[in-house]
Amino acid sequence: MKELNLLTKTQNTWCPGCYNFVILSAVEEALRELIRKKEIRKENIVAVTGIGCHGKIFDYLNVNGFYGLHGRVIPAAVGIKIGNPRLTVIGFGGDGDTFAEGIAHFLHACNTNPDITMVVHDNQVFALTTGQMTPTTEKEYKGPSSPEGKKTNPINPIALALASGASFVARTSVFQKDHLKDILIKAIKHRGFSFVDILQPCITFHNTSSYLKERIYDLEEKNHNPRDFKKAFNRALEWNYSLDEKSSIPIGIFWQEQRKTFEEDLCQNQKPWYLFKRNLNYKKLISLLR
Amino acid sequence: MVMKKNILIGGKAGQGVAMTSALLGKIFVRGGFYVFNYRDYPSLIRGGHNFNVLSVSDSPTFSFEKSYDIIVALDQNTIEKHRSNLRDGGFILGNKNLRSKNLVSLDLDKALSELDLPLIFGNNILVGYLAHYFGIPYSLVSEVIKKEFGSKSHLVEKSIKFAYQIDLHKSEKIYRKRRAKYFFSGNEAIALGALAGGLDVYFAYPMTPATPVLHYLARLQREYNILTVQLENEIAVINAALGASFAGAKTMVGTSGGGFALMAEACSLQGMSEVPLVVYLAQRTGPSTGVPTYNTQGDLKFALNIGHGEFPRIVVAPGDAKEAFIKTQEAFYLSQKYRVLTIILGDKHLGESHFSFDDIERPLLKPKDFILRKPNKNYKSYEFTVTGVSPRAVPGLGPVVRATGYEHREDGITTENENEIIKMTEKRNRKEKFIEKETNKLNPCKIYGKGENLIVSWGSTKGAILDSLNYLKSFRFLQILYLRPFPVEKVVKELSKAKKVVLVENNSTGLLGDVIREQTGFAIKKRILKYDGRPFSPSEIIKKLR
Repeated sequence: MKELNLLTKTQNTWCPGCYNFVILSAVEEALRELIRKKEIRKENIVAVTGIGCHGKIFDYLNVNGFYGLHGRVIPAAVGIKIGNPRLTVIGFGGDGDTFAEGIAHFLHACNTNPDITMVVHDNQVFALTTGQMTPTTEKEYKGPSSPEGKKTNPINPIALALASGASFVARTSVFQKDHLKDILIKAIKHRGFSFVDILQPCITFHNTSSYLKERIYDLEEKNHNPRDFKKAFNRALEWNYSLDEKSSIPIGIFWQEQRKTFEEDLCQNQKPWYLFKRNLNYKKLISLLR
Repeated sequence: MVMKKNILIGGKAGQGVAMTSALLGKIFVRGGFYVFNYRDYPSLIRGGHNFNVLSVSDSPTFSFEKSYDIIVALDQNTIEKHRSNLRDGGFILGNKNLRSKNLVSLDLDKALSELDLPLIFGNNILVGYLAHYFGIPYSLVSEVIKKEFGSKSHLVEKSIKFAYQIDLHKSEKIYRKRRAKYFFSGNEAIALGALAGGLDVYFAYPMTPATPVLHYLARLQREYNILTVQLENEIAVINAALGASFAGAKTMVGTSGGGFALMAEACSLQGMSEVPLVVYLAQRTGPSTGVPTYNTQGDLKFALNIGHGEFPRIVVAPGDAKEAFIKTQEAFYLSQKYRVLTIILGDKHLGESHFSFDDIERPLLKPKDFILRKPNKNYKSYEFTVTGVSPRAVPGLGPVVRATGYEHREDGITTENENEIIKMTEKRNRKEKFIEKETNKLNPCKIYGKGENLIVSWGSTKGAILDSLNYLKSFRFLQILYLRPFPVEKVVKELSKAKKVVLVENNSTGLLGDVIREQTGFAIKKRILKYDGRPFSPSEIIKKLR
């Protein structure tokens, strides 16, 4: 069988050595596997991206794409899913994108459970705007907008997603590509809102490689049960996204449950709207104006 | 001589003022009259003072005068507030416990206890009394009630039948055979216009005065197989609407100025991505929260200029409910065909007033989505074409489809190359010329009357101006509906023919005047502007022009 080409020939402009290359490659492999196993169809994939380094993945993936606004990946993705429930909608966002500009959408999507996947390239810094702090940046971080150090603690997106009702909550990292690919496959297959936080150093502005590498462990090795909400929450609190020396950093699926999705609850019509024939009787319609 | 009665119905919020006036309006329309129903309410839910004014006439009426023939008072406060505007010979109708000169009082409490009906049915007795007073046959009233109240109609009929047996204090038998057939609000027209235009999904966040469209469509969604979605804020609303449109649904969002401000960035995304979208912008008195339930035409330039960067868009401002119905259908057609943003610019006065009409013509355009069902495998989302309109495909059909906010090549991939920037900018800009050719065939402006002098206006001032023309024989009226693309040639022709030109607008700075100057070079010096949150009455215009 001919190898499916899921990459464009566009010149890549990420920094040499950027961990986004790992994410791109894992995404490509995950999609290829899902297509090969007939879990999804290539023509039904839509990649929705925000603005930031992560967003360039729009240009590199040879699938349908919506390159939207900074912070607005989730509502655009929700709209696409409503517009055609047959599509496989995968959102890519940065940590600034998702947790600063777009935090309201993130919380509501966790709550309403649209069947989309939200992948966050979490390098804990604004990279494309040259290194300012984001909500997940550690306290005391000195960047161009915080020369005296960041004054506040980072937010914990895993705990936030759990508290807000997300039905699939996972963390992975760019240091374990197979794990990353495996989580992506499970997230895409999950029916409902899947949140995947990918830990990723920014080699230019926020290089946390050695800190992360030394502390990451796999939840599966600890026999974590992703159906146990209390334990999921406790695991989520093991690391608060600071660069605390004592922390260890769990990766894997924290929590997964099946419940009705936003669009299946909303849409009486589960096919693409453009295929929907509505035989409107104009006379009957204007009789409503009498 | 034209017969025209202005009937005010007032009471506290929660007493059913709007319901009562709408019912009375429908009965008058069924009884053969033309009716205009104005609604005035403060921003609160219970208490305060709400009122409607019904203008009832034997010839078309689109406005009201603050000089009442009848005041229907649901509380004493209505009498205190409006008594000074009661015409000589007019009367006040209400319950026995009210106190006033010229009061025709009915003992509603006694009647309701005899009829064993709850307090709110007292309003129906007042409605029945007036219908009887004007000689409308009971059979017609009964017909309206059956249609409006369905399974509860026997209770309403019981109260109205009772009212028909009350001895009238006097009567004006002016009932005539049927004329006007339709009676509806601007917001109902926008909702049904969207349906007729092919709407699939309506996204909104509640905001006065656009909210009734959300409510109305939500109620109709099962029967008409459409979907209404309320999301967390206006930013989510418009981004989701663009997403759904990208996926192939015909989408619309509705909001007022504050919500529209939040949508500005996504309007710009529309410009770059060329994903079709219709926006209903219902203006209210600003700036900021302003006077939320009152009217100002303050957002014309905001609509014309929303979104950073340069990109074509359509702005259309209907002047009455029938135009709202027709223009909304056009908005859908044009958005899909040219992959542009179309803004339907209405306001509180248009949206929440009821208008009556003899007929509703069919629109000049039939709904169409312009989506390629079988795009070939070399499909490019932003292909260069003569008109600048790239054929539209949607995801799921085979070829890769892209929408993007970055400047891009024909295939949608990001570019920063100078030649590619120029070509893609020109492709987008080129569309406007072709849109203009099309809107020029859709009555982008209309002329009423034959006088040598000219009144120029737009939007919801139309009603008061039309009604004032009956008394201003030396004037004709130019109504501009399509404000972008602006019908330059037609407007210049009218302006240059006119002896004297007067601008009429419901705002404080004459926004249309600025737009006309920008587009044509004409500066209109004589201006009649009103910015107290209330619409014009014909007499206010007549006084200034005679």
